[in-house]
This record gives sequence, C-alpha cells and structure tokens, in this order.
Amino acid sequence: MRATALATTLAALLVPALSACGGDASAGAGSGSTLKWASSYFPAHWDPVVSGSGAQFRELALVYASLTKTDSKGDAVPDLAESWKYNSAGDQITFRLRSGLTFSDGEPVDATAVKAAVERAKKQKNSALFGDLTSIESVDAHGLDAVVHLNQVDYQIPQLLGQRVLQIASPKAAAEPEKLDQNPVGAGPFIVTQLVPGTKVVLKKNPAYWDAENIHIDRVELTSAPDASTVVSGLRTGVYNFADIEPSQAAAAEKAGLDVFVQPGFNASNISLNINKAPFDDDRVVDAVRHAVDRQEFVDKLTFGRGESTDQPFPKGYTAYDPESENAYPYDPALSRKLLAQAGYRAGALKLTLVVPAEDPQAEIVQSQLAKVGISVTIKIDKNWATPFFAKDLTFSLYATTGRDSALQTLTAHFGPDGPLNLSSPYEPGGFEAAVAEVRRTPLDDPGYPRVLRAATRAGLKSKALVFTYSSPNLFAKSPSLSDLPKNPAHIDWTGVTLSGSR
Amino acid sequence: MVRVVLSLTTGRIAAGILGLIALLALLGPWLAPQNPLTTSDDTLAAVSGAHWLGTDHLGRDVLSRLLDGSRVSVLGSLEVALTAMAVGVLPGILSVQLGRVFEWITLRLADTLVALPFLLFAVAVIALLGNGITQAMLVTGVLVSPLFYRVARAATLAVARSPYVEAAVVAGASTGWIVRRHVWAKVLPPIAVALAQTIGVGFVIVSSLTFLGIGVQPPAPTWGGLLASDLGYLDQRPWAPLAPALLITLTVWASNLLADAIRDASGEAGRALAGRRRARARRTAEADPVPSGGTR
Repeated sequence: MRATALATTLAALLVPALSACGGDASAGAGSGSTLKWASSYFPAHWDPVVSGSGAQFRELALVYASLTKTDSKGDAVPDLAESWKYNSAGDQITFRLRSGLTFSDGEPVDATAVKAAVERAKKQKNSALFGDLTSIESVDAHGLDAVVHLNQVDYQIPQLLGQRVLQIASPKAAAEPEKLDQNPVGAGPFIVTQLVPGTKVVLKKNPAYWDAENIHIDRVELTSAPDASTVVSGLRTGVYNFADIEPSQAAAAEKAGLDVFVQPGFNASNISLNINKAPFDDDRVVDAVRHAVDRQEFVDKLTFGRGESTDQPFPKGYTAYDPESENAYPYDPALSRKLLAQAGYRAGALKLTLVVPAEDPQAEIVQSQLAKVGISVTIKIDKNWATPFFAKDLTFSLYATTGRDSALQTLTAHFGPDGPLNLSSPYEPGGFEAAVAEVRRTPLDDPGYPRVLRAATRAGLKSKALVFTYSSPNLFAKSPSLSDLPKNPAHIDWTGVTLSGSR
Repeated sequence: MVRVVLSLTTGRIAAGILGLIALLALLGPWLAPQNPLTTSDDTLAAVSGAHWLGTDHLGRDVLSRLLDGSRVSVLGSLEVALTAMAVGVLPGILSVQLGRVFEWITLRLADTLVALPFLLFAVAVIALLGNGITQAMLVTGVLVSPLFYRVARAATLAVARSPYVEAAVVAGASTGWIVRRHVWAKVLPPIAVALAQTIGVGFVIVSSLTFLGIGVQPPAPTWGGLLASDLGYLDQRPWAPLAPALLITLTVWASNLLADAIRDASGEAGRALAGRRRARARRTAEADPVPSGGTR
C-alpha cells in the first residue's frame, strides 16, 4: 500500500519534470516563432568587412542586407537596391536604392552608406574583402543613387555586390569598426538584442527591413553548435529547431523524425599544389597526382554518399559548370605510377608533406590514395596554416571553398595569378586571362554569357595547381514545424519561412 | 617495498593491469592483426572475425589501432611523470636544506606553475614548437612538478627536525651527506606514491590532448584520438567508444590503485605487515629445518 502511494507520488513528480526535459521536435508551441539555430559556423567577427566572404556570411545576413541578393538560380536580384543600370561602355554601374529605409540605429540607407561600405572594404586594415573589389575604382553618392566607377568593363558587379561581398553596415556604427565587430548594426531582416561573443546571439525581427512583411520569424537565437554528435539530440529535444549537421548524423536525424535536407551550394574541396616548388615543377608529377585521386572514395567515406565527386569548383548543372572538362583526369593508378616512373621516382621514393590546419579525414584519404601509387605522404598539422598557405609558401595542402555568388570571382580566386586559393601564384593557366576578360565584358543577360563563362572555366581547369575532389553537401536538419527554406544556392534565406504557430 | 606492495591485493591487481598495459605498449604494434593505417572500403563495420572491434570511418581495423596507439599513451604519461619528478623532487628537498632565499624562490616558482592551466599551456607550446607529443608532455611535466616539490619538501621537513638529523648537523655533516643518509630514504615512499598518481594524471592529459587532435600527427592512432573519432559516429557504432574509454579508465584506475598500495605499504600498516611477514618467515624456517644431505 505504502509502496503504491510512493510510486504514485514519484510518478506525479517525475513525469511532468521529465516531459519538460524531453519534448517533441515537432512541437512548435514552446518556441512560438523563435528560430533556434545551432551553427557550426558561428561568426567570430560581426563586422562584414572583417568576416569576409566565407560561410559565416549566412549568419551575418540575419543582420545585414546588401545591394543585391541571389535567387534560386543564383542570379542577382534586388535587395537594398531596387534596380541597377550599366552605362553603355560597361565601366560604370548605378544602383538605385529603395527609398525610406533606415539602419537599425536610425541612420538612413542611402548612397553615402554604400560608398562608405565600399571604401571601408577597400581600405580598412583588417579587411578580408580587399581582393574582391579590385574592379571598383570609386563610388559617387547622389542621394539614393550609388554610382560605381570601374577600372575595367565588368558586368559581374551586381553578382559581386551581394551578401557575400558587400553586406552594408550603418556608416555611423562602422565609424568604430572594433565596436561594430561585436555590436552589428545593419538594415537586414533582424536586429541584434544580445550578443555573447563566440557563443550566442539573440535577434528580433526588424520592422524597418524592406521586405519585413515576408519575414515571419519574430525572434532568432543563434547558438554556436556544440559537438557534432550532440546536435541531433538538441534538435530532437527542441533545444534547437534548425542546424547544420554532419553527414554521419543525417541518418540519426531522419530516424528522429526531423527534416533533413541539402541546400544547394558551391562547395568544392581541392588538393592544392605549388608548381613553383619541387616536385610539382615537373608536369608528370602533377599529372600523376591527378590520376591518383579516386573522388568517389571521398564521397562515400566523408559524405556518406550525400555529396558529389567533382573536378570543378561548380556543381553540375550550374551555368559555369563546363561539361567538356568533365573527367579530364580519370582515376588511373597504373598511369599515375607510370608517370612517376617517367619522372624518375620509383615506388616510395617521392615523399611529400601535406600541411593542413587541423585533423581532417580528407588528408588521410589523400595519404592513402597517393600511397597506392607509391607517393609517401606525411600529414603535418599546422595551427598557423593560414599564414603560409595564403603567402603561397606551402608546397602541398588542402582547401575547401563554399563558393562565391559571382562565378567569375570563384574562377579568379582559384586560378587567377593573385587568386588567394591559387597556391602556385603568380602562375595562371594559358588563355585564362583572356577568357576572364571576355566574361567581364559580357553582360549577364547576354545569350552568349553561359558559353563565355564555361570557356573561362575550361581555361581555368587547365591549371596544374588544383585537383578538385568532391563537393560536401550543405546538410541541414530542421524541425518539421519550420517550413522549407528558399533554395538559393549557398544562401540561407529566411524570406517566407514560417514556424508553426506564427503567421 | 616491492614485495610488500605485491603482498597487498590492490598492489597485485594494479601491477597486473599496469604490466599488461606496459606489454601492450612494448608489443602492441607487433600484436596488431592488421596494418593500423591501411584504409579499406569496409567502413564502420560491426564486430566480426576479421575485425574484432570493427572498423573506423575510413575502414581501418580498430583493434589494430588500439594496440598500435597504446605506446604513445604510455610513453606520454611516463614522460609527464618522470619530468615532473625530475624537476620537482630535488628543489623540494633542497628548499629545506639550502636556506630561506632558495626556499622563497622555489615556493614562488611552484605557486606560479600551479596557477598555469597545463592543458592550455600544452596547446600553446604545440602552437609554438610544432605538433608533437614529446614537447607537450615535457612542458606538462614541468607544470605538474609542484606536486613532487611539495611532497618532497613536506617529507624533508618532517625529517629535518628529527633529533638524528640535528645531531648530524651538530656533528658537522654536509648537506649532501644528510640528504643521502637520512632524507632520501624518508622521501622515497611518498614520491613513489606521487609518481604512481602522476602516471594516471599523465594518461588523462595525453588522452585529453590526443582527443582534441593535439600532439600527434594523423593518421597515427592514439586512445584519445580513437575515442574522439568514435564519438562522431555514435549512430553507426554506438558501442565503439567503449574500448578506448575502458582502456583509459582502467589504466588511470590501476595507477591510482598502485599509489594507494604504495602508500599502504610504506605507512605504519605497511611496516607492520612487513614485520609480520618477516616473523612468519622466521617461524616457518625454525619449524621446518631442511635436513642436510637431501630433501623430503
């Protein structure tokens, strides 16, 4: 009798408590219209000029708007600018801004703010965007008209001045860049109400955002994702309702009833070679590496089959993807061994050091694949890897890009003589410069643009400095209470997204 | 002392486990049934006859990697413990013998070292000198050395005030002679306890660093590294982290058990135990004389 009473009391106490700890992923009731986003790309910097055009731009896009954004085809569409127009020579473009917009600190969104943003990106000491704006000579501000003067004909500018490269901060707040870095002030869909550096940021909907009527989320809690293995549990129990996940966690997320989806993107991993240094100054060694790479192994082991093998920095079907260049260097270990022998290397004689910033199974796959053709690779983790990599001091390394909105920017970054991702600078493949100039000269709506762009990709892929391997998926999991996101490639766009219980 | 430690059940268990771990460290790479670095298409495979502990995310045999990785963990923890002992013991003894200036300086140094977080410091040293477990463990050993400093100093202080040491000082004995003749024997047992404990601490440090991917160049296997990579694939192999976690836990537990056994053996109880054993041995010898010219 006493035992039964005790059990009943315990059950009465524990059941509600345990229920509160658990929760249903699909239950939107508890979260209302609060997006709870766990991100493994939590920005270290909130000044867009310092943060640069890497993957973190997606998080910064909560706060900042830009002149243009991209649609589901990856084409530039109006954001803060309602329209733009080139002059007849193609060396000047005028952006007309929407009227009556303000930053969250009350400052007006006008051409002066655009001019300040461009100048800051070009001149600020710690700017990560300097190399992206080389075509821009100056900006004149005339009320709502920002006139951008170019130093060459370049029809890529609307594509370039989007979320990746020119998120626009309030010029008043940007007068103190160090403060802006942890107190972001923009004209984007949300306003920061609390920011704990490196950990968490809380935002509320910005009623002054130009497209506020299509933003149906009232509040965002963006958290730095904990260990990858715990993210799915967090989603399942309602701690988060949206997160990027590792491919190894996808099955668990699906089993938990979460929506798992791949957002289209431009992710591409590569093996970077420095052909200015031995042994890659010998074309036969470069070709031996090209033929030693089994791309499918990367896809199977690192993405659990959810990624794609690639030998280009673009996904298949994208305008810039060149079908003619597909599989130019197929996996052929026998040919690879033969080329090495011709270069004078017997099995095991060629020893390379692969320098990477952190432990990475990708490096171990490269090591194992090259071992099969007789190249002995030592993996070296260098925490200061970025310095020698971008100074082009390394001989052999790995890099993975999340792409750019301007396909031409992707090409010049990888294959251009000063491209940050070209480990063999100042080398560039023959014909690339002319092909790039042709792309710049071709308007985006010209019927010949795709052909010209693909020709530039083809010229770039002649580069001996890069061996593309695979494309990792932009894998996300969300609570079913969150509606589907627009499929803008590489972007996370919250326009029109709803949470159960909100509008 | 060794015999007394081994006469205790805890001592025997600890010695057995640590002996086995030492054997793994010595022979592990040869005992590994497969090449621990060879990848295969058979990724995240379950336990089978071919792979007793399954395979990892790159298709490598987990048992072979565990066996091969034991050497790094054992050598790393020994390096921490021996460095800490080498750096801490002598200053600890001399801080009592060499006067107030030396005492003040070494005490402040010890306080400073205690205040430094050794894990962060090890990471910083690796960033400075390159990714290697040797330099990380040497630095960690120095940071752990205040433990030995304090133990040696406390034991020396107890001896220094004893009448026979004071008599030796009055008789004109040198500091070196006093340390060798009187202090050393008293200091050794607590140091042995500290050493066993520090080996356990060393295991935790090595495992923590390698868990974070620090100190070892991939694809070299380590227990901590295996644990870390297994945690990323819990959905596919939920039992996988058990093997490296158990090995780490068992080794640390055995080190602490050994420390307890040494402490028990070197204290009053230990001396009494040793006395009883000697007495029993004497009684046995007196009761059962072996006749000359043959055996029964």
